[in-house]
Amino acid sequence: MKNFFRKVAFGLKPEEKVPSDPLTWAQKQVETIPELNWKGKHIYSEKEMRKHWIKQRVTEETVFRKKYKNDPDGLRRAEKQLENDSGMNFWPNNEISIRHAEAIRSESPVLAKLWYFWTNHFTISDTQTLPDFSTGAYQREFIRANMDKTFETMAYEGTIAWPMIMHLDNKDNIGPKSESGREEWRRREKEPATLNENHARELMELHTISPKGGYTQEDVQELAKIMTGWRPKYSKKLDQGSDVRFMSDRHEPGKKTVLGKTYKRGRKSLKIVIKDLVNHPSCREFIATKLCTYLITDKPTKEMITPIIKAWEKSDGHLPEVHKAAIKVAFEYNDKYKKFQNPENWWLQVINMSGLAYKYPVPERKMDNYMLGNLPSEELRESDWRLENIGYHPYRAKQPNGYSDISTDWMSTELIIRRLMYAKEAFHMYKTMDQLDLKNHENIIRSNFDDPDQILKIVSKAISNEEKHMILFNLPEVLKA
Amino acid sequence: MKINRRDFLKTTAATSLFFAGFGLPSFASQNKKNLVVIMLEGGMDGLCAVPIRGDKNFKKLRSEINLKKTLKLTSDFDLHPALENFKTLWDQNTASVFHATSIPYTGRSHFEGQDMMMSGGRVPYQENTGWLGRGMKLAGLKGNGLAMSLPMPLLIRGVPLNNNYFPINSSLPQKRLLNIIAEEFDQYSEKDLSETLSIIRNRDLNYFPGTNASTLALEAGKLLSDPNGPRVAVFKVDKFDTHAAQGGENGAHADCLKEYDQILKALKASLGSTFKDTLILTLTEFGRTVKQNGGKGTEHGYGTAVLMAGGLIKKSEVHGDWPGLKKKDLFEGRDLNSTMDARSIYASAMSTVFDLDFKRIQKDVFFGDKLENLSGKLFRA
Repeated sequence: MKNFFRKVAFGLKPEEKVPSDPLTWAQKQVETIPELNWKGKHIYSEKEMRKHWIKQRVTEETVFRKKYKNDPDGLRRAEKQLENDSGMNFWPNNEISIRHAEAIRSESPVLAKLWYFWTNHFTISDTQTLPDFSTGAYQREFIRANMDKTFETMAYEGTIAWPMIMHLDNKDNIGPKSESGREEWRRREKEPATLNENHARELMELHTISPKGGYTQEDVQELAKIMTGWRPKYSKKLDQGSDVRFMSDRHEPGKKTVLGKTYKRGRKSLKIVIKDLVNHPSCREFIATKLCTYLITDKPTKEMITPIIKAWEKSDGHLPEVHKAAIKVAFEYNDKYKKFQNPENWWLQVINMSGLAYKYPVPERKMDNYMLGNLPSEELRESDWRLENIGYHPYRAKQPNGYSDISTDWMSTELIIRRLMYAKEAFHMYKTMDQLDLKNHENIIRSNFDDPDQILKIVSKAISNEEKHMILFNLPEVLKA
Repeated sequence: MKINRRDFLKTTAATSLFFAGFGLPSFASQNKKNLVVIMLEGGMDGLCAVPIRGDKNFKKLRSEINLKKTLKLTSDFDLHPALENFKTLWDQNTASVFHATSIPYTGRSHFEGQDMMMSGGRVPYQENTGWLGRGMKLAGLKGNGLAMSLPMPLLIRGVPLNNNYFPINSSLPQKRLLNIIAEEFDQYSEKDLSETLSIIRNRDLNYFPGTNASTLALEAGKLLSDPNGPRVAVFKVDKFDTHAAQGGENGAHADCLKEYDQILKALKASLGSTFKDTLILTLTEFGRTVKQNGGKGTEHGYGTAVLMAGGLIKKSEVHGDWPGLKKKDLFEGRDLNSTMDARSIYASAMSTVFDLDFKRIQKDVFFGDKLENLSGKLFRA
């Protein structure tokens, strides 16, 4: 039964009381979205964070190119300083702290684990320096904040948010027959207006109906036409950093047909087509399957998916209901299926079960003391590096499809080496007293396993507390949940 | 040639397959041969790497991302200036190009395309093994694969005990501790975990050379040149997906090509005399549209080029049946067409390097699909 706390959350702390009704305990956590646990002063909206992105971009591309035209060394120095002035090396760490505090310190670790699921579903991959400024804020403002609404709301807001429009190139998606497309300067400057299908394709393939929805290349193009004009307006001062809006002069005129349904020209069609996509049967099947893959097994069965689809249909895709259904399925299959945990969730499990909440994430006070313009200390930057090394950095996925949820993708020589190493690192995060405490591992094990004696026996083969930590957190019982 | 136990096992494994009616290769007289695959993720633009010469239409369609300076390959084709090491090999008859080719995928999605370029299948997400893994299995090459990346790519899955190498600068656990964990993996019948751990237990855990492309290639070359080392290595270069600001001689696509070129350079250096027994091929999910888009980039396309290098190359040549770039010649009116299923090149390469009968590869690795045996044309036997 105790496995369930690792399956839908991150295990229990060494002295934590075991909830008497685990299912209710878990389901209650997804009903509302509480305030973030993080109490630091640097919690900014996506729009506020964009100011720093703009500073980095405009200074680099406009100011520096002129100023250091003939001074490559000067340019290099100036670029380094700019990274500190814009906070490029600080913000991702600040955001990771906010993200991970939810798993380790909040009253709703189950909600946190599902939040991580959705941030991977709506991945902003590593491009255009978005991870350094905007991805964390996007994940708070458009994903987490919408987890008590319908999937339709999350999908629509997630789609037209500035980071997603930038990331999938919809800023370059311009109707060839639009007003702007017909302007004389385009011919003169040789900048023809063309469709950019990238975002439209991913909206169907990754975010809503998946290839099983049976769309064609033509559907992709038609959806791209509906999406023309949704972009930030370029200006010298802000580069692409102004708000995304619907620019009707960039919008392809005429009706468009996606999956057999016709949509009018104009602003409203995007909302309507997203509504249709999220209500397509392939969408709920796709997402129910993904949820089960994340929580339960690489190969979900129809019996697992069906109750989640039913909850979706009954509630019109109201996410708390969908989540509760998924949690219930995970509860029912708790003993039968164990899911290999991805590196980030594993790491948070190590910290949480170890009782290291006092040490990780880097506390508010330290983050708050950082001043823009300085090089952040190694301590402040560590979490960014660590996630990269561990193979799962939630802001730096290489592709828009994010990270895999399939176990074998996490079982390579190097990735297993990383887990051994980081279990050791976690041990050294303990205060000396805890490192020396001979009862520490027994407490962790008794809190988290139904059959602690068996685990204790294995761990007792270690010759030091450090080794106990490395063995315990690399046992199949901990790698899987 | 001194044959140690491991070589002997390998030979017998391969030989037993050949006894099944496929002719016996002359193993005794041969050196160990290596296959390196460099995956170019995001859609490598074959028309940018190896542009056609003197095609007015092409120049017009790409007026802002055209190359002003190029390296000359043949009377018909140029080479991107970032590929200078490739050019050096070309001049030594150890590099060639197959143009206007693609895997049989026309859907223009990265994820489906990358899945299929690795699986070698015709339907996305259907296979959980890669064509290279299946080829190695057919050749009895267990424990001979090496991926230079943090995760294990689908491409070499399908054969047990592959290794990956992407080191981290930190002290690693003692063997004794690994043995305790290994015991538990066995106890719980965690086969995948057990196998992975058995590789870790054989690794020098205190050596850290770094992880940039050149360093990884130097390490891979060292391991491949060891007669008992791996025979297959896989690299990944990403960010070829240049929807915007693709650039000409300089720019995002040029940077990616340069990274590939640096891998070539490092491999050439570290393989030493083994370079002559090695093939280095590129693999990508699709090419890019002929026409530039409004963002001075290109869209997902179809036909592209495969860059080939190594001592097993027959001679410097741009292979392929050029389909032309007039609108009517293009795939769906927008992309360079493919006149050769790229899997024919990969099947031929495996036939050459693994000494396997082509038909057998076609049947057991590529599902009996119609492929052309190009071994004699492209590679030295």
